[in-house]
Amino acid sequence: MRRAVTNMQESHIRNFSIIAHIDHGKSTLADRLIEMTGTLSKREMEDQILDSMDLERERGITIKDQAVRSIYKAKDGQEYMLNFIDTPGHVDFNYEVSRALAACEGALLVIDATQGIEAQTLANVYLAIDNDLEIIPVINKVDLPAADPERVKKEIEDVIGLDASDAILISAKTGFGVDQVLEAIVKRIPAPSGDINKPLKALVFDSKFDAYKGVMLYLRVYDGSIKKGMRIRMMATGSEFEVTEVGIFRPDLVNVDVLEPGQVGFLAAAIKTVSEARVGDTVTDANNPTPKALPGYRKATPMVFCGLYPMDTTEYDNLRDALEKLQLNDAALSFEPETSTALGFGFRCGFLGLLHLDVSKERLAREYGLQLITTAPNVIYQVVKTNGEVQVVENPSAFPDPSVIDHVEEPFVNATIIVPKEYVGAVMELSQDKRGEYGNMTYVEENRVMIHYALPLSEIIYDYFDKLKSLTKGYASLDYELANYRPSDLVKMDILLNGEKVDALSCVVFQDRARIRGRQLVEKLRGLIPRQLFDIPVQAAIGSKIIAREDVKAMRKDVLAKCYGGDISRKKKLLAKQKEGKKRMKQVGNVELPQEAFMAVLKV
Amino acid sequence: MQLDYEGVYVHTPFCMQKCLYCDFASYAGLGASVQERYVTDLCREIRLRGQSVRSGATIFFGGGTPTVLTTAQLTRIVTALKQQGVWRQPAEATMEANPGTIDLAKLQALRQLGFDRLSLGVQSLNDTELKTVGRIHTAAQALEAIRLAQQAGFTRINADVITGLPGQTAASLQSTLTRLVDTGLTHLSVYSLILEPGTPLEKLVAAGTVTLPDEDLEAELYQTAVEFLQKTTLQRYEVSNYAVPGQESLHNLLYWHYRPYLGLGAAAVSFNGQDRFNAVRTVAAYCEAVEQAAVPAPVTPGITTRAGVKDTAAAATVAAVATTPAYPWGQVETLAEQDHLEEYLFLGLRTTAGLNLKEAWERFHCDVWVRYGQELQTFVDQGCLVYEPGRRLFLTSKGLRFGNRIFEVFID
Repeated sequence: MRRAVTNMQESHIRNFSIIAHIDHGKSTLADRLIEMTGTLSKREMEDQILDSMDLERERGITIKDQAVRSIYKAKDGQEYMLNFIDTPGHVDFNYEVSRALAACEGALLVIDATQGIEAQTLANVYLAIDNDLEIIPVINKVDLPAADPERVKKEIEDVIGLDASDAILISAKTGFGVDQVLEAIVKRIPAPSGDINKPLKALVFDSKFDAYKGVMLYLRVYDGSIKKGMRIRMMATGSEFEVTEVGIFRPDLVNVDVLEPGQVGFLAAAIKTVSEARVGDTVTDANNPTPKALPGYRKATPMVFCGLYPMDTTEYDNLRDALEKLQLNDAALSFEPETSTALGFGFRCGFLGLLHLDVSKERLAREYGLQLITTAPNVIYQVVKTNGEVQVVENPSAFPDPSVIDHVEEPFVNATIIVPKEYVGAVMELSQDKRGEYGNMTYVEENRVMIHYALPLSEIIYDYFDKLKSLTKGYASLDYELANYRPSDLVKMDILLNGEKVDALSCVVFQDRARIRGRQLVEKLRGLIPRQLFDIPVQAAIGSKIIAREDVKAMRKDVLAKCYGGDISRKKKLLAKQKEGKKRMKQVGNVELPQEAFMAVLKV
Repeated sequence: MQLDYEGVYVHTPFCMQKCLYCDFASYAGLGASVQERYVTDLCREIRLRGQSVRSGATIFFGGGTPTVLTTAQLTRIVTALKQQGVWRQPAEATMEANPGTIDLAKLQALRQLGFDRLSLGVQSLNDTELKTVGRIHTAAQALEAIRLAQQAGFTRINADVITGLPGQTAASLQSTLTRLVDTGLTHLSVYSLILEPGTPLEKLVAAGTVTLPDEDLEAELYQTAVEFLQKTTLQRYEVSNYAVPGQESLHNLLYWHYRPYLGLGAAAVSFNGQDRFNAVRTVAAYCEAVEQAAVPAPVTPGITTRAGVKDTAAAATVAAVATTPAYPWGQVETLAEQDHLEEYLFLGLRTTAGLNLKEAWERFHCDVWVRYGQELQTFVDQGCLVYEPGRRLFLTSKGLRFGNRIFEVFID
């Protein structure tokens, strides 16, 4: 049974989030908290209720923020309103994480007792510390035989510098210790402070598009209050709207009359797209605005680009419609039309990172039924020309002619790698090989080391993380943030099929590696391109110089030898299947290319 | 449009031993009583369904191995066919046989029953190759079978040969073909070995026990056969079939010309010009279904004139009448006009004579070039296809090699 939701004194509100590395038990703990506060009955509980997108469930990660309000009767006999704000669990969405944390006064730092601190956790803890959050260390999975809570406590103290003496030992799976977590939230996390009489000041920490209500803004109120019918202004974008609904999360949306300081909830105001009301923006009263917006707002900027083309050229308009719809809910996604001689009309799309790209692509396929060709992702290059002009290149095929290039700059990230000490050599060798610049190295604890490197973002997109994982048997964790642009010796490599340049296969590579990458790429393509009726030379070129070549040998035979009255249907089905397979090929000139070919550059 | 059957196929789902590559409806070791029951039920089906067969319709006994049936059993089947008027001065009556299952007496009996064409599953004249795929006979037995057939009076003899057998080389294939041609047979079918899912051979290949020729060698073997036979009296008339001119298999040509045929027995397929009827595959299911069927044959194509095609409403009514009754020993596969057209086109192009464009127009109101010309032109340009406006469309030798590429064009 659900309890009535009442407004409470600020002193009885607690806003918190959970910081945890993937698989350290964040979702399980959240489920347990919701269950133990009776927000949902057992029957209503679905495992990991917060990850509501199918994709999130499949991948076991959170992509969008979520929030839940529960009422908890503490041991002091009083009822408290607990607002739990769930944060995305991937480096691509660091900015969203920072905004969600900014909406809280405290955070649970959940660490797996068998694993210890990971790089991603560390980055988020620092974000929480930056936002002055009270951090409660929680050591999970203490029921497992390999659990070593004392070691984890020491790590927390040595690496983060937090007092871990009162860390709570729990097993989210069995429920052990979860009551102590609830008590700690009430006792240790400060109540929000705000002034209901001041002009409205609320932080947008996430937004979601609803087909009927428009964009729903997920808010944390600092000062003032929000009611239905009120006129609000988004301080960064300047857009104004009339509030049509306010409400809270239980975790489904429940309307309330008013949201007051310290509270977390949502509003709807017939907002058409998320770009009018971005995450991080401050909502204020249009008739009585606050003089100063909340700090920390910035526009999400795409870091990784790729071309998206419909397999079937007649689907171009459908693709545009689908991208527009995705953008309604995803202000970080950018796209603009582009034309490829090989692929026809499509879009150059920008994403926060590879996961964001992957998820968006998959949603286009699943939710909009689109068959797409994706070109290999690339970063944004800044090409400084001999005339001093700087050209921003989002598509390798637009890379200027070498004769007009003075130098090229590419984005570098500051990467943090945490790894057992026996892998230090391997990590350093890999990072060096990926053109990394060594920063420093510290011990997280006796057996684990934290290494800092500056690395080109393009190498991270390419295969750095996969290699890191395999070299360290999966023990390494990686986190990074964009640092700056640095000059690099980069060249454009073209791929020619049957003597014709295929623009969609062009890529930008590090000069010293060009020859090796070219050889690997043409070999890979040779394996991917099905044999056709003629030989197909596959060449890699820099400028007019061919640096590698492989041939796809002509097919020798393709005919069903036997076909009689008894097997006409079966043979027809075989032909239909073969034809269906061809439909998934893209005709480029007179060569049929499978979709994977366009991603081949990532797979060598 | 329903038409009178122009050919009759009779299936025998029994073998002495299953070949390792075979996924046909055929079973080994079911015992004499099962065979006897099957023959009885087959005769019953003949009485139930043996109408509307055109005089002169071809007869084809296939399998499995029809010659595992006793002469007495074969006689009963032929008698039933004759009594029902199914066997009426057939233009051709073929018996399939495994060289390991015949002797002179049996061959003479077959001749006496009226069979004038023998199709022998020789597959190879290399004993190692034969053994690898589980054939029950040797090369010597195969050659002896041909000699005995000739002695019994068969002048029309076919041998099936497989290319792409494990261990096969261009030389061994050429030796097989040379010796077969030297026997004076009049027909050869040369098929590529297909690794069918679920067959013992597939498992052996997966386990690495048996290795098949790779794509290139397989293509080379195929080409070896094509080029070798070109120099003989056997002329290619279909993707996989070669005959002394005038000795082509009339029955098989019916399939490629998309003419109606009646299939009798388990797993047999019938096509009445409108729909396809696929009989159940297992012997037990077939026998039970036939034994329970009391009513006369549900598949009773009547005579419809060509004019009926133009009147689509009338054609639809005819089709509805034909498909409404259940087909108790199998499934009805309803075919739409588009199916007819697709099948007619891709089957017809398998023959070296190619598609008769005038006939395509008359039977299906399709101007092939108007409808598919744009896509087909590529193949003309590549030297795979020849288009003779208003007359015919046919595959060149190169085109036959890449037939699927062209057949695909017609599949919707």
